[in-house]
Amino acid sequence: MFVVVALRWVDERAEVDPLSGRVRTSDRSAGASAADAAALELGLRLAGSTGGRCAAVSLAPAGADELLRGALASGTDEVLRVEPAGEPDPRAADSGAGTAVALAAAVRERFGAPDLVLTGDHSPDRGTGATPALLAAEFGCAQALGLVSLDTEPAADGRLRALRRLDRGRRERLAVPLPAVCSVEAAGVRPRTAALPAVLAARSAEVPVVAARAAPDPPPLTAAHGYRPRAKELPAPAGADPLRRLRELTGAGQRSDPPRVVVTDDPAEAADELLAFLRAEGYLDG
Amino acid sequence: MSDRGAGPSTAAVPIPRPQRYDFDAIVVGAGPAGSAAALELARAGRSVALLERGPFPGSKNVYGGVVYGRVLDGLIPGWQQEMPVQRWVTRRQTMVLSGARSLTVDFRNENWGRAPHNGATTHRAEFDPWLAEHAQRAGAVLVPSTVVVALLRTADGAVHGVRTDRPDGDLTARVVLACDGVNSFLAKQAGLLGGDQASHTTLGVKETLALPRGVIDERFGVTGSGGVDVEMLGCTGKVPGGGFLYTNAESVSIGLVLGLRGLARAKVRPEHLLAELKRHPSIAPLVRGGELVEYSAHLIPEGGYRTMPPLIADGLLLAGDAAGMCLAAGIWLEGVNFALGSGMCAGRAAATALATGDTSAAGLAGYRSALRSSFVLADHERLRDAPGLVLSERMQQRYPGLLCDFAESVFAVDNPRPKPGFRALLRRAAKRNGVRMRDLAKDALTGLRTFG
Ligand SMILES: Cc1cc2nc3c(=O)[nH]c(=O)nc-3n(C[C@H](O)[C@H](O)[C@H](O)COP(=O)(O)OP(=O)(O)OC[C@H]3O[C@@H](n4cnc5c(N)ncnc54)[C@H](O)[C@@H]3O)c2cc1C
Repeated sequence: MFVVVALRWVDERAEVDPLSGRVRTSDRSAGASAADAAALELGLRLAGSTGGRCAAVSLAPAGADELLRGALASGTDEVLRVEPAGEPDPRAADSGAGTAVALAAAVRERFGAPDLVLTGDHSPDRGTGATPALLAAEFGCAQALGLVSLDTEPAADGRLRALRRLDRGRRERLAVPLPAVCSVEAAGVRPRTAALPAVLAARSAEVPVVAARAAPDPPPLTAAHGYRPRAKELPAPAGADPLRRLRELTGAGQRSDPPRVVVTDDPAEAADELLAFLRAEGYLDG
Repeated sequence: MSDRGAGPSTAAVPIPRPQRYDFDAIVVGAGPAGSAAALELARAGRSVALLERGPFPGSKNVYGGVVYGRVLDGLIPGWQQEMPVQRWVTRRQTMVLSGARSLTVDFRNENWGRAPHNGATTHRAEFDPWLAEHAQRAGAVLVPSTVVVALLRTADGAVHGVRTDRPDGDLTARVVLACDGVNSFLAKQAGLLGGDQASHTTLGVKETLALPRGVIDERFGVTGSGGVDVEMLGCTGKVPGGGFLYTNAESVSIGLVLGLRGLARAKVRPEHLLAELKRHPSIAPLVRGGELVEYSAHLIPEGGYRTMPPLIADGLLLAGDAAGMCLAAGIWLEGVNFALGSGMCAGRAAATALATGDTSAAGLAGYRSALRSSFVLADHERLRDAPGLVLSERMQQRYPGLLCDFAESVFAVDNPRPKPGFRALLRRAAKRNGVRMRDLAKDALTGLRTFG
């Protein structure tokens, strides 16, 4: 059986700027999520039990080479990094469609058609869990998503046995025909620790890179605004004085230290700081 | 496949003398001591593995926040331009707290904001990887997410490698440098770290509180990349210890250092003591509104020179906190500079021993003499009585009150009564805090001998 495991390179310890809402990530703390690591482990076990092959792929910039070297050390036969085509529009919602198109094309070109594609159930960064389904559409194969367990030896009929979580604690047993795309949860799978000689050997391994095939143009984005949660209902503030009630509701007059852009008293410097912030945020482009 | 232990084992693993070695040297722990040692070894053309249990260097490490980096002059020329600095320390304070009062010695030097600089606040998750990257660029092989669980020793007791928690995880080398921090399992396994560790180890607890840059600038009276380093005494209740408060670019680090035995005896929780410190009228305005972004805790070796283990065995060197080389003495809380200095010396000594082909304790003896002629052992030796003095009952429980009483009576104006002289005020303050003038004079003399 030829298994491809798609790993998303994410920083689960990302920081969010309180003022601009910008997310700051670091290559150092980035890696595979627990669900992706579980997918890799299951991929390796399936390939091992069927005498097949396992490859790991990631649509990510060069920082992800370490992640793929780690997969090599753990026992994958091949790895492939797909270099993203340009920066995504940070305002646009990520449906996963572009990722699925790029990964499927790169996998097909490099390895041919896989019997099984495994992924984590959803990525911790903006993940909707839709990418595996879109991958299944790209490959034109079966899909079984959000699995809590997956047998690592195919049944006599060649199908995979899987268990899926349903609402209200129910479970669904599935017999998954191949080829298929399966996404798994992290639960119950303990990823292996790579052997030391393999880790040392993987350190100098070359990670092959291909450019992502550009996804079909998304619909043009004319406007975008931040996610607005529904207003929270609060009990009315107590007290007879309307002004007091209003103050309590709005927090007016309370001491607080909101995030600030301008930190100087000098008007010229303040103007420079403000302009620099607006420029950095892209408000003064064009 | 070798046995895999869940954690460090207590005994070294016996092995026959290896026919060939995987590396010339193995450095355990990619903290400042380990990376400095690996960098020196790699520069000397030696093959060196740098093993780190965390997913990346610095990911597991906790400290207060200030690095006194001049020791880097000899390791990374031009480090000032490339080190990941939060703020340069341009203001140092020693604060004594008693009840709701405080007395502060405040020193400011804007020159410290320029090269050659004095100290800098930096995050370990940025500083340690930066240093390890230098070691890697020089040729060291960094192996993260790998715990060393045992030493490999031949029948004659010489160390020839380590066992890790990975499958097939044995790695051999002619010399092992234990830079694995305060609770060094390797030093213990080698029989070098014995005795009553708990009585000369403290627990450091720290909170990182996010505050806007401008707010920090205003509250601490600094501008640009200037920052503040505050060391505190009298802020740990009945537990011997001290406190610190450092400014980063957009956060402050506040923490306590607490003697383990005293903490156990007092039956208080460290986070409660820290919460109390944050409520102190001298500290509360500095940290108000700070959003808690991190809470961490770690042990600190505080015994100093007198409790340092032997630093050398056959095929083994200890450096940094593993060798007890942290200087924690009231107005000082330094460890990274000592770790860097000792790591450099250890790396150089190991490289020399490898070149001569003698990695026995005798062949590695150059390490001790190098440490002696550097600040590392010289400072520790000179300040060998400092830990005892600073953690003594009088210093911890009585002197903060005495100093605050004295300052209060000096600064209070209670006309129409005539002003008493300083000596009378001091005597009064001493009496009120149960300190005999004889003991005060004795401690002053010890202090002078120790620090003078
Ligand atoms: C709360 C607190 C505040 C402090 N404040 C300051 C300060 O402001 N300034 C200052 O200079 N010093 C400070 N120190 C002291 C300073 O942190 C240490 O002295 C310094 O980090 C020692 O460096 P090191 O390289 O010897 O050890 P460490 O920095 O502890 O590094 C040891 C490394 O070894 C790794 N390791 C441990 N065991 C193993 C193993 N078995 N296998 C593989 N890897 C292993 C660890 O993950 C770690 O990366 C503070 C300490 C604490 C706890």
